[in-house]
Amino acid sequence: MPLAESAFDYEARLAACARGERSALRDLYVQEGPRLLGVAKRLVRDTALAEDVVHEAFIKIWNGAAGFDPARGSARGWMFSVTRHLALNLLRDHGRETPFSEAHETAADDSFDAHAHSARIYHCLEQLEPQRRSCVLHAYVDGYSHAQIAARLDTPLGTVKAWIKRSLNALRECMG
Amino acid sequence: MTSESAQDRDELAGEYVLGTLSFEQRSEVQRRLPNDPELRAAVDAWERRLLELTDLAPSQQPSALLWPRIERSLDRLTTKAPSTSWWNLLPLWRGLSAIGLAATLILGSILLTQTTPKPNFLVVLVAPQDKAPGWVIQASNSREIQLIPLGVVEVPADKALEFWTKADGWQGPVSLGLVKPGQALSVPLDKLPPLQPNQLFELTLEGTNGSPIGKPTGPIQAIGRAVKVL
Repeated sequence: MPLAESAFDYEARLAACARGERSALRDLYVQEGPRLLGVAKRLVRDTALAEDVVHEAFIKIWNGAAGFDPARGSARGWMFSVTRHLALNLLRDHGRETPFSEAHETAADDSFDAHAHSARIYHCLEQLEPQRRSCVLHAYVDGYSHAQIAARLDTPLGTVKAWIKRSLNALRECMG
Repeated sequence: MTSESAQDRDELAGEYVLGTLSFEQRSEVQRRLPNDPELRAAVDAWERRLLELTDLAPSQQPSALLWPRIERSLDRLTTKAPSTSWWNLLPLWRGLSAIGLAATLILGSILLTQTTPKPNFLVVLVAPQDKAPGWVIQASNSREIQLIPLGVVEVPADKALEFWTKADGWQGPVSLGLVKPGQALSVPLDKLPPLQPNQLFELTLEGTNGSPIGKPTGPIQAIGRAVKVL
């Protein structure tokens, strides 16, 4: 069972990985494997493919542990970034533009409840108009391209692109 | 490439982290990241801002086969480079013998040139990976230093070596200019405070005109700290 994030020393495990201690990578896997797989699955929409992504991510985490720079962000955040970008590379690769089924569960369909989350980003998202918020969530959580978001929201592509640009500006202002 | 405003860069970084860039745009960002500290800082900031949204994806228990598969892949990676004891580490002995050679050359040159004042600072610049010495710096006074190559290093045609120094307490490294591989160089330090013990010197690989932002951006080729000669 994963520990609370605050009780688990990600940086120390990563430093141990850099020294070649396989058990530290195993600890990280037990701690974050299910959440990383959840994130990857939501993006690539296929369990086998998502496991491929997490497999590749842990190889990258192992090999990159020595080069990890804590000044650039948290070790936990880095593990999620590595995993998300591997999944996104796969999603955006030529010919892989996955058509989504209407039945596909998406982040923006979940009733968005900012109060269920304490992190500041949820407070900032709540300030956005619902459609613009949907753009951000469909992109970050569901991995939708501009065109997929436009189709999903039945909105012109140019409008979606402008909404995303403005939403990012608003989020940056709000988050600092 | 046209110059990019901070606003453009931040939008590119934001959409990169959000995931809405095309494959070509993503590849371009990933190609730039290792050598573009400003873009990297913008991407890092977006990663931090949006990270908590990963909570919206429900966790999923990996299959029991996934961890063994990861371990097998790691085994394959590590068998390529079997672990050896330090006694059998070629780079270590190479490095040590080269350091010995460097010391001999330095001491020899000091003996042969006793008419010139003996250097009061020495720096041996070594490669960060295998610690092989590539250059020595000697300073007979604290206003000028000589950079002396111990061999010829290969620099790609579209790159140049840039020489940097930073003493304890300085805001950041200061460029001492571009360095041609294999050529000795005298560098006046008249714009800088006098040399200090432990002052850092390094050579990084930059574009042909040097770093565009006045700070090292490329990989370190050689690095060392000043030692006061008694």
